[in-house]
Amino acid sequence: MSISRRDFVKGGVGLSLLSTVPYARNAFAQAENDRIVAASKAIGKTDLRGMIWSNYYVPMQPSMEEFRKLTGIGVGGIQDISIFDIPQRAMAEALSRSPQFDFFHVDAGMIPSLASAGLLEPLDGYMKKASFRIDAVGEYNKLLTYRGQTWGVPTDGNVHAQYVRRDLLENPDSQKRFADKHGKPLKFPETWDDEFQIQQFFHNPDKNLWGSGNLRNRANGVTWYLMMLYSHGGFPFDDEMKPTLNTEAGKRALEVYLREKQVAHPESPGWGTPQMIPRNVGGLTVAYQYWDGTMKQNENKEKSKTAGKWLYGIPPGAMVGGKLRHRTISSPLAAVLVNKYSPRKEAAAYLACWWGTLKASEQIVGDNVNVFHDAWHKGHMTSKIIQDAYSVDGLKAVEKCLQIACPPIYLTGYLEFQDQLGKHLSEAYVGQIKAAEVLPRVEEEWAKIVKRVGAGKLKEELATYKSVMPKIDKPA
Amino acid sequence: MPPRGGGVVDASADTTPPRWREAPLLREEGRKHAVPMPSAVAVPAPVGRLASRELSRTRGIKRFKWTILAPLIALFAGVLLPVLLLQLYFSFHQWTIYLGAWHEADFVGLDIFKEVLTEPRFGWSILRSLAFALGSTIGCFLIGFGLAYLMHQPFRGQAVYYILFILPMLTVPIVVAYTAEMLLYESGPINDMISRVSGDQFKVAWLSNPDIALTTVMLLEIWNWTPFSFIIMLAGFASLPKEPLEAARILGANAWRVFWEVQLPLLRPVIFLALTLRFLEAMAEFPKIWALFQGGPGSATETIPVYIFLTTWQYFEVSKGAALSYVAMMLMIVIVLLVIRVLRREKRALDAMNVAVRRGE
Repeated sequence: MSISRRDFVKGGVGLSLLSTVPYARNAFAQAENDRIVAASKAIGKTDLRGMIWSNYYVPMQPSMEEFRKLTGIGVGGIQDISIFDIPQRAMAEALSRSPQFDFFHVDAGMIPSLASAGLLEPLDGYMKKASFRIDAVGEYNKLLTYRGQTWGVPTDGNVHAQYVRRDLLENPDSQKRFADKHGKPLKFPETWDDEFQIQQFFHNPDKNLWGSGNLRNRANGVTWYLMMLYSHGGFPFDDEMKPTLNTEAGKRALEVYLREKQVAHPESPGWGTPQMIPRNVGGLTVAYQYWDGTMKQNENKEKSKTAGKWLYGIPPGAMVGGKLRHRTISSPLAAVLVNKYSPRKEAAAYLACWWGTLKASEQIVGDNVNVFHDAWHKGHMTSKIIQDAYSVDGLKAVEKCLQIACPPIYLTGYLEFQDQLGKHLSEAYVGQIKAAEVLPRVEEEWAKIVKRVGAGKLKEELATYKSVMPKIDKPA
Repeated sequence: MPPRGGGVVDASADTTPPRWREAPLLREEGRKHAVPMPSAVAVPAPVGRLASRELSRTRGIKRFKWTILAPLIALFAGVLLPVLLLQLYFSFHQWTIYLGAWHEADFVGLDIFKEVLTEPRFGWSILRSLAFALGSTIGCFLIGFGLAYLMHQPFRGQAVYYILFILPMLTVPIVVAYTAEMLLYESGPINDMISRVSGDQFKVAWLSNPDIALTTVMLLEIWNWTPFSFIIMLAGFASLPKEPLEAARILGANAWRVFWEVQLPLLRPVIFLALTLRFLEAMAEFPKIWALFQGGPGSATETIPVYIFLTTWQYFEVSKGAALSYVAMMLMIVIVLLVIRVLRREKRALDAMNVAVRRGE
């Protein structure tokens, strides 16, 4: 039987249309799972050992057990440590070339460093064999690539979204007062300046209501700064790997970053998520960018006082070349990475693919109790259980954010670059150094890191870093 | 083999018991009283038996010493020494984890040490560590000493107090940190209690003010480790000889003079030991600082251990981390040597005082 080119195209269009129908998508999802099972069945019974935080692992267990039933491949044991400590532990495994762990569940920002240290197994071969692809929203799947290869499968999207208190913003009295004061309507912020005006307008410490709910501690603040830098059109390095923070974009981002101190709680320099999330969910803040997973906590009708009182969207933007550019950040993008030195790496790779299927990931992200995993798959955006967890508006915001998500410093030496920036930002935020000193000092420290890691090597990696950056200014 | 019973000994051989050989002053003292003996004289049986017993005792002590020391030396040679040597190798070789194998690293001589020793950030971390260790050691000691003084005489219910006082030391530092985090918010229970007691609004930002952060950890360290000083000082009080105290009381000294002129001078070596051990331990404090601050706010709590951790495991600068560790180790060795010197001086002074007391001077 001969098939003409026209018939082939028709068939493709037909299948694409069919895939938009929920039932058909499920059928495809099932086929995807079957292919992974078929590819991995020959391996036989295998007990894997992973380095993963139990907060993440618990919702991944049911789908792992299902995979074990079908293939004999499962997880026999884990080392339960926080995702923030895994980079160091994984690097220790790289140093010793240890086969002890088969996979690591870690921030994808570590991919360049861990791949450079020789720890990681590229997954493209396994993905091809199982006809599996990371079917993420927009080009989000690129954040798992490095030097043209795929090194991890995401389990947790983790993008920053914009949160604003709906009950405050839609209050007629507030709207009038705001319009009188600023000469413009009170609405969802489009620019960083808009957001700051809203924060200032509602900031009222006497009533324990604080303009900002953003993090400014040493460990986390840097994530916010990078998001601001990207949205102002900045990028950390030029083509010669010379740091380019001390630029107009960098300075403007710093100004935005530091001025929030005026509308933040005085203890914000020392606060991380354990302190800030309860305040945000409790309605003690007005507007902020935060990891999208906290929408699930906000909208949990049984536990949250503020369910239904939030507006969600993309983080504010800044004018770049006459257009408003919005950027968000994905950090940590939690993904399963496979140990190159493991004798069971093939089994680990297929289990990673299994967790990345729509069926398994929907179960993982939709878990109502263990809410660490966030939506990333195209299929999550229409999933009823995920919609219920995030709210329809919340999930729409997540979908938009995924299209403009940037990585942190996506280079070998990620943690080094990040901590130097974080340290200086924190010092300026608490007044240990002047704002004007931050960027030149960080550039100086970064130049040393570039020298140590190797400018030549990093220049080659820049291509990957730039390729994973979003190409659009604002999602449709 | 030494002669058993009444054998014949060669007088040209040193018949001084080995224990005396180790103590020159005592040996001299012994010789003063020794009766000169002609060569090859018959030694009366009891004297020979004594010498033999002494020799066998000395050998026993020697064996015991080696039984204790041998595993430690084996541990040092088998585990610690290779690590120290590897660390020394890294300190002299610039190795980047991302480029090539460690044994192919470039030899850079003293370059990394020069970098470390001229780095202001490391200098600040040393100062912070010293300030932290000094403050917390003094705090631990003063409270521990006070408690030990109150507890050194038996009284009803003493055991209950003893258990209560040592409880903080049994709390894991990381638990101390996380519990403190909950208590020390600006609007948390500690500030609230102080406000209620003082009647004024007490709003100290224990966890976010860079000028206070190090003091916060210092206070936690004092709470956590005061029992250590307490136990040592309690043992010190218990080991004080009774005679000088009784003599002082008979001579009419009041409690303060007994404490100030007899107990305190006798306790000085123990005090130095308690201070030193606590100081060294405080210099290495990491879990509480890391759990609460990760070196922040800003760089307010970036002490030596935090900086070494960041350098080695956050920046993966293994070579620099090794050099930093060596410099920190040298710093500690200098401190320990100084303390040993002081302790020896104290010991000599105490011995002299004991001799004087015995002679009734």
